[in-house]
Amino acid sequence: MRSSLQVVALWGKKAPSHSITAIMITDDQQTIVTGSQEGQLCLWNLSPELKISAKELLFGHLASVTCLARARDFSKQPYIVSAAENGEMCIWNVTNGQCVEKATLPYRHTAICYYHCSFRMTGEGWLLCCGEYQDILIIDAKTLTLVHTFISCQSPDWINCMCIVHSVRIQEDSLLVVSVAGELKVWDLSSSISSIQEKQDIYEKESKFLDSLNCRTIRFCTYTERLLLVVFSKCWKVYDYCDFSLLCTEVTRSGQFFAGGEVLAAHRIIIWTEDGHSYIYQLLNRWAQMGAAYKTFSGLSKSIYPADGRVLKETIYPHLLCSTSVQENKSLPFVMGYMNERKEPFYKVLFSGEVSGRITLWHIPDVPISKFDGSPGEIPITTTWTLQDNFDKHHIMSQSIVDYFYGFKDGAGTVVITSSEYVPSLDKLVCGCEDGTIFITQALNAAKAGLLEGGSLLKDSLPHKVLKGHQQSVISLLYPHGLSSKLDQSWLVSGDQDSCVILWDIFTEEILHKFILEAGPVTSLLMSPENFRLRSNQVICCVCSDHSVALLHLEEKRYLFCARKHLFPVRMIKWHPVENFLIVGCADDSVYIWEIETGTLERHETGERARIILNCCDDSQFLKPESVFSVASETHKHKSVEQRSSISYQFGPIPCPGLQVEASCKVADAKSFSGPFNVLPVKTRWSNIGFHILLFDLENLVELLLPTPICDSDHSSSFHGSEILRRARSTVEKKTLTLKRNKTACGPLSAEAQTKPGSESSAQGDNSVTFLEENDGIKRQKKMKSSKKMHPKPSRKLDANLIIDAAKLLLSCLLPWGVDKELDNLCIKHLNILKLQGPVSLGLASNEDQFSLMLPGWDSCNAEIKKDSSKVNLFSRKVLDLSNKYTSTLPNQPGMPRRLENNCDSLQESNTIVYLLRRVFLVNKLVNMPVELSCGIDSSFKMESVHNKVKNPGNDILHISSFYSYLRNGKNESHIPEADMSLLKLISCWRDQSVQVTEAIQAVLLAEVQQHMKTLRKIPINSQPEAMTENGNYEMIQIRPKMEWTEELELQCVTDNLPPQTSASLVKHDSNSNSANFQDNEDMPDRCVVEESESPGKPGHHSWIAKMCFCKLC
Amino acid sequence: MATAMAATAVERAVLEEEFRWLLHDEVHAVLRQLQDILKEAALRFTLPGSGTEGPAKQENFILGSCGTDQVKGVLTLQGDALSQADVNLKMPRNNQLLHFAFREDKQWKLQQIQDARNHVSQAIYLLDNRDENYQFRTGAEVLKLMDAVMLQLTRARNRLTTPATLTLPEIAASGLTRMFAPALPSDVLVNVYINLNKLCLTVYQLHALQPNSTKNFRPSGGSVLHSPGAMFEWGSQRLEVSHVHKVESVIPWLNDALVFFTVSLQLCQQLKDKISVFSSYWSYRPF
Repeated sequence: MRSSLQVVALWGKKAPSHSITAIMITDDQQTIVTGSQEGQLCLWNLSPELKISAKELLFGHLASVTCLARARDFSKQPYIVSAAENGEMCIWNVTNGQCVEKATLPYRHTAICYYHCSFRMTGEGWLLCCGEYQDILIIDAKTLTLVHTFISCQSPDWINCMCIVHSVRIQEDSLLVVSVAGELKVWDLSSSISSIQEKQDIYEKESKFLDSLNCRTIRFCTYTERLLLVVFSKCWKVYDYCDFSLLCTEVTRSGQFFAGGEVLAAHRIIIWTEDGHSYIYQLLNRWAQMGAAYKTFSGLSKSIYPADGRVLKETIYPHLLCSTSVQENKSLPFVMGYMNERKEPFYKVLFSGEVSGRITLWHIPDVPISKFDGSPGEIPITTTWTLQDNFDKHHIMSQSIVDYFYGFKDGAGTVVITSSEYVPSLDKLVCGCEDGTIFITQALNAAKAGLLEGGSLLKDSLPHKVLKGHQQSVISLLYPHGLSSKLDQSWLVSGDQDSCVILWDIFTEEILHKFILEAGPVTSLLMSPENFRLRSNQVICCVCSDHSVALLHLEEKRYLFCARKHLFPVRMIKWHPVENFLIVGCADDSVYIWEIETGTLERHETGERARIILNCCDDSQFLKPESVFSVASETHKHKSVEQRSSISYQFGPIPCPGLQVEASCKVADAKSFSGPFNVLPVKTRWSNIGFHILLFDLENLVELLLPTPICDSDHSSSFHGSEILRRARSTVEKKTLTLKRNKTACGPLSAEAQTKPGSESSAQGDNSVTFLEENDGIKRQKKMKSSKKMHPKPSRKLDANLIIDAAKLLLSCLLPWGVDKELDNLCIKHLNILKLQGPVSLGLASNEDQFSLMLPGWDSCNAEIKKDSSKVNLFSRKVLDLSNKYTSTLPNQPGMPRRLENNCDSLQESNTIVYLLRRVFLVNKLVNMPVELSCGIDSSFKMESVHNKVKNPGNDILHISSFYSYLRNGKNESHIPEADMSLLKLISCWRDQSVQVTEAIQAVLLAEVQQHMKTLRKIPINSQPEAMTENGNYEMIQIRPKMEWTEELELQCVTDNLPPQTSASLVKHDSNSNSANFQDNEDMPDRCVVEESESPGKPGHHSWIAKMCFCKLC
Repeated sequence: MATAMAATAVERAVLEEEFRWLLHDEVHAVLRQLQDILKEAALRFTLPGSGTEGPAKQENFILGSCGTDQVKGVLTLQGDALSQADVNLKMPRNNQLLHFAFREDKQWKLQQIQDARNHVSQAIYLLDNRDENYQFRTGAEVLKLMDAVMLQLTRARNRLTTPATLTLPEIAASGLTRMFAPALPSDVLVNVYINLNKLCLTVYQLHALQPNSTKNFRPSGGSVLHSPGAMFEWGSQRLEVSHVHKVESVIPWLNDALVFFTVSLQLCQQLKDKISVFSSYWSYRPF
């Protein structure tokens, strides 16, 4: 995902499934982090009152998450590390959900411990990892590269669990581990740091066989520094740390499995089980109970430090104090943890996560709860929460893109979308439903209807089609034209649960053909690559859930054959164009080769040979029903060969891709997605629940709305220009100035229009937005139809209405509503954007594969905002401060077009939108910039300002006569870059202060809108003559930076001459008809004598504008 | 639209009943069967704690190849470790007989067997948690369990079927070369691995490449079995493989284990398929 992509998630009513496999609470006890079997991480806000609310979902892993751990000193950097089943590791910043680092190593970790020794280590510390490999790996916590390994000389084996022991008494950090065979091993940590750095072999210091299997946890009692708690699945044991002698053993009740444990206090421990129960025990000392008499007798000052272990051994036995439990609706297994890190208020929290996605918290009291008769009591559950609770509570936020369909059902409850496909070239969203119908609708309008206030009005007028033909739920869709432009634009292929595939004409809503496959449900539809053709046409491949693969020939409407012999699910489809083979890779690593012409099975291979066949077909283009995951695993294999060949192929096929469809879209989209707006259907594994993501490509939007190359120098120069403008304005009479500007502005407009017709057309499109909005869907359909007949390529030429609509929707989603009622109204009125119904769930992309999506209810995570219900979509309180800061930095920057404030027409509105979008884009770019780069940019800005300084005095055609203006210019030069720089500095500064991108964007947007609307409020409406308005239209079409330049130059002219009569003549000119203006413009190039350019940066702009100024004004 | 659904109310009720039976009875029956098979497989690996206590028994394997008798090896396998090894190598040039054996005090862990064994015990552990008393509530739950079990079994099988592809320097650096009592001659490399059901021993004879050799030096990549002519750099020397000898012997219990893996994988898949048949019916209602 590109950084310029803005993401909005439309979650729908049902939460995506999140089967918790790992859980942790951050050290500040404000965030719960869970990892899921689906591969996502979820951040949950934990309030000081111990209330839970889901905040963000982090996407990045393609396989089940195996463990989570702290990855830094949490007070310095709020980073955690997650590891997945397929060897992926990611470091996430939990405050903003960004992926800081990622790596894929050929190791599957089951536990990670962060270790940092500040006085002996440089760098960010190490991650000590154990898992499905021998011994311990040491991985750099910053770069995620393998630093070294701890190796054992005695019976090396996989390690199940570990803990780091910081012993104050012996001034040494040690690593205690237990292997799968039950062998306890100890490595010195702090004293072996240097040997690790020198990569010497480090063997264990001690090793002892514990005589139990399936160790789950090992914990050291830091209170006594003496006891060691080891929890096995069938028993837990307490050892003496000094000599590892066994002090006590407690076995499980039948049918229960211990899962972990922790030391609560000196001699008090908590043990929890796989089914979510926990038990708190006091380790009683028999001898101590005998009374003080014994103590004095034995001469022991403290009973916990007896002279030798054997004495201690006799003394300890567990006594159950109290327990916790969950309701009976258990779903195995529970993952639990305990923490008491927090300073103030000091909470001791036991937490658990279930496969069902439920989190439960218990506040463990210091005084054990007991019943009246003194028997162990039960600690009540403090909080419990699921993702679905969030969705239910904040249902207004969990809008789905297709919610309005519900209105069309005859009160028959909800429609379940079982598949969907977005057709960018038509802006159509095709949704297959559970009841067998297929909806086709305008995607952007559907999104608007779901998100915006008053969008419900849109619902009724929203054009949609319903295709009826399937008897069962439609579970796969394919729009062939999207994959190969040679195919008919009207075709749509859909497959259902009943193994029926229908070819539709989406324009006439007819069924062209119905294929009955007589196989399993059609889970995915694929098309053969361009280079594979059967009788000069591509074929459709249907993968069914009974592991069969059927081939269809669309042009001939023929069912070719069904390959049925596969025993395992189909993982990969490859095509052999030369020999007409279909190569099917299955989940068990076997390969089936089918001859397409005859439909016969050519070969069946397994093992090594199968792998070779699949690999050697790499050059022949292949499609995968299970998407990137197979590619990922393949590249992964290659990688592992390079990295450590001895354990290559350790991961065979990894049948755990969390969000396959989505991931594949991501990859595809990073490369091929070219439109400014896109809809991505996302579906989680093991459930039918899907949701949609709206993607806005900021860069593309800006580009399309304003077809000039965007670079920062443009910005700086525009600031520069506007600054001069501002200066000049103070000296020149306002009205005259405005008129003049209007006048000259016409010039650049049409010249621009001549050279770049694209801008013209898009601007014209803008003009008609408001009028077309209602019936625009129908019109477009017509347009598409006609274009279909002519077979042109509509793909890149996107509808201008669509672009501006997408831009408006994006602005609606980014703006904080309700901060200022008046401002809201002005926005709605002047920008013609609609207010949000509720806060939107934005996404944040860290890089191509990692991104985060806000969950419904993220806004309630900020305590301050929650109280103020009037504010909608305010990302954080910080935004307001930032926005104020920003405003104070730009008090006099007339960055906004101010001259035509009172012209509330669509052109001005679209222009403002473009301006705002550009601002957003700039901020997004600045904040996302890596730190190293930003320094360079800063200096380049300096360079730019220097450049300006040099350039302007040299502009002698302009500055020749007027000493006055020269002075002014001199003054300006010291001024302009500063104002400009200060803004950039401010934003760069935000980045360093770890202000989130979204916050920065919103702050800037708010400030800019406020700035803009402030002027709107001041100026009474309709105070200017109408002719002005008309001129204004044309002026606004031109491209901003150029306009700034014009203004600057022109102003300089004005200040030079300042004849009062000029203004009068200009008024006259202005009131001319439009055609006259056009004529002027057309004449202009002729009048423009090519002249030596003064500004080397932009000769094109400069010379002719300067020329023009002279011709027309001076 | 409700009428368009294939299942009428009666049909639906029957289906739900059938699905409930599947979740409550059939799943457990399959799981028990799986457990039995895997326990049997685990026995083959002589898992500690799997019934036969005490040190794993020793098995001797005589490795040979049908073609030549230049290399003969007798390897003693104790669980997942090689406890003894005697290798006889007849030098092709002078028919001189070389003999080397493991040091008495050392064992060589066959990591492939250890990993396979651990994967199996992980799979057993996953199944152990769900005894008869455990009630599956959703089909997805079963699918997730089956996926987890299948992942372990596939990995176990892949560990045996795909030996590590090592580069020659890696073989030279491996601990195995340091295991022999009279140290291995500098021009001999040894590698031991499992391929499917076979214990394989490869002996590479090397000769040094002259520094001024006209031969184009190209270090070879990783491979299970390097062919004569493969070159590599070790220390400051450039070496080339002159002869490769590969001898192997079938380990019968590994064969059994592989069969058990395949059978249990198929069982898992069949159970998944059975659950999937009902998938359309538990889209929103967990039952």
